[in-house]
Amino acid sequence: MFQFLVDTLMRACDLVLVAIGMSAVYSLMKFPNIALVQYAAMGGMLAIVLQKAGVPIGAAIVFSVLLTGLLAVLLNEFLFNRMLKIGSSTAMIGSLAVGMIFSAAFLVTMGPNPSRFALPISRPLRILGALVTEPQLVSFVIVLAAIAAFALLYFKTDLGRCMRATSTNEVLADATGINTARMKTVIVLISGMMAALGGVSIALKGEVDIQVGMDLLLPVFASAILGGLGNPFGAIAGALLISIAETAVTTINFGPLMGQVVVFLPVAYASAISFLLLVAALLWRPRGLFVSEVKRV
Amino acid sequence: MSDFIIHVAIMSGFYALLALSLNLQAGFGGLMNFGQIALFACGAYASALAFRFDLGVVSGFVLAMVAAGILGWAFASVGRNLQADYWGIVTLALAEVIRIVATNEDWLTGGAQGIGGIPPLYPGLDNQLRQIAILVTVALLVIAAGLLCRHLMGGRYGLAIKMMREEPQLAASLGYDTIAIKRQLTVIAALLAAVSGFLFARYVSFVGPEQIDSSETFLIWAMIVVGGLGNNAGAIVGAFLLQFTFAFIPFVKDWIGLPTEYVAAGRLFLTGGGLIAFIVWRQSGIVPERVGGGRYV
Repeated sequence: MFQFLVDTLMRACDLVLVAIGMSAVYSLMKFPNIALVQYAAMGGMLAIVLQKAGVPIGAAIVFSVLLTGLLAVLLNEFLFNRMLKIGSSTAMIGSLAVGMIFSAAFLVTMGPNPSRFALPISRPLRILGALVTEPQLVSFVIVLAAIAAFALLYFKTDLGRCMRATSTNEVLADATGINTARMKTVIVLISGMMAALGGVSIALKGEVDIQVGMDLLLPVFASAILGGLGNPFGAIAGALLISIAETAVTTINFGPLMGQVVVFLPVAYASAISFLLLVAALLWRPRGLFVSEVKRV
Repeated sequence: MSDFIIHVAIMSGFYALLALSLNLQAGFGGLMNFGQIALFACGAYASALAFRFDLGVVSGFVLAMVAAGILGWAFASVGRNLQADYWGIVTLALAEVIRIVATNEDWLTGGAQGIGGIPPLYPGLDNQLRQIAILVTVALLVIAAGLLCRHLMGGRYGLAIKMMREEPQLAASLGYDTIAIKRQLTVIAALLAAVSGFLFARYVSFVGPEQIDSSETFLIWAMIVVGGLGNNAGAIVGAFLLQFTFAFIPFVKDWIGLPTEYVAAGRLFLTGGGLIAFIVWRQSGIVPERVGGGRYV
């Protein structure tokens, strides 16, 4: 039972930071940025490449996260802002195109094979009967710290207050003297860094390959939408819900229901479940489980 | 060499049908279908299943039409009260679910190995003649589909659809049932995509889940954005342009002496870069949309 909890939390760690980033960026920019999942992939891969080049792992992670955030700002400044002037659907297609360029760049630089951090192999710890590895614990702590830092920034600082004001009513925020353009840049930077950190946390726990970004796309969307897009803290609950569903589908024995001893669904169906949850959420609770300011019907 | 050109032209024809079908929804109706490949899959898998279970070609075709019609109708029903970009995400998710099911249900679809050995079109002819016959068939189909789309979009029906795209509330206030129009449009487009899938399966004599990957949908999107959203000729031009460009990437690669990964990367880079370039610099595509009604009124 405790193993189930651990598995769920680890899966949630994979999703939650990217989902928060997507939610935060949606609340200000008003378009779902598909390229964000590729920022995550880039964060993880860049950190691995840097470590292979001899940079200590901590510095590699910090550098890769900062660089990804910077890239997110540049892309936003030169591409997405221009596309948004045409329309939010256009910006969405544009972000998809940017995602493809990322895929091409990964394929050329990293090749099709998966790669991982060079970490000393350690024996998994046993906590309350569940197996936990040391990198899993580290990535869990990183994710928690990132969420806490984001929460502090968002709710306790002046900058956070300005961000919330801008996302709630941009025109009004502009009128009260908030520099909304700068707020957008800041949130894009933060979302890029959060996504990159999410990618690093995935890389810490295992391998990353060039598919990792696209594989994240739908579960992250599902988490962000379940949490009510534009509500970054709803995304945490969304990610938890998605990971519970995914873990349950693959670990529950459906045998007794079907009159057989052991019936497990194939692991591949885990993602199908999260996609179906996404569809169900959009059908019945199109504004997410946690209603936010954003109206989208 | 001419065999190769004929092959690429046939493939371009299949993609042109798909592009026309996506253009009906996205270009004219403003419906962001990111799951177009699932409608193609209905046709391809119906064709393959009819062969596998000895149902005959005609019933396979009926199966394809029924499946695509139902799926198109389901897409439209889901999208009834969603904004364009959310509908895009939902269709993407549903298409992925279909792909996952196709990959895992071995008893029905042959799983990841797919269904092979499907008898070709015109089995009586010898190879060279058969290729030419297929090329003529596909070309006639593309022309017929283009004329059909032009007929649909040139008249009052097309005007209603364009008005629904630009001013949905105005269209509703003038008595147009926008939900019914969207549904009809999606189903017509679904049938067109399924025809393409049905013939494609008979042409390559193999159907597998990797053919219905969501990246194929993004490729069709690139075709219609490059060719010109909301213009039937544009969709056909875009499909042929991209297919022919892709066909020559391997030659360029050999000429420069790059490893094989660069072919896939080159495709991705061209698709993404083409999308971005056209969105940023030439929004209307190669063949811009004609404003106003056609000569068919």
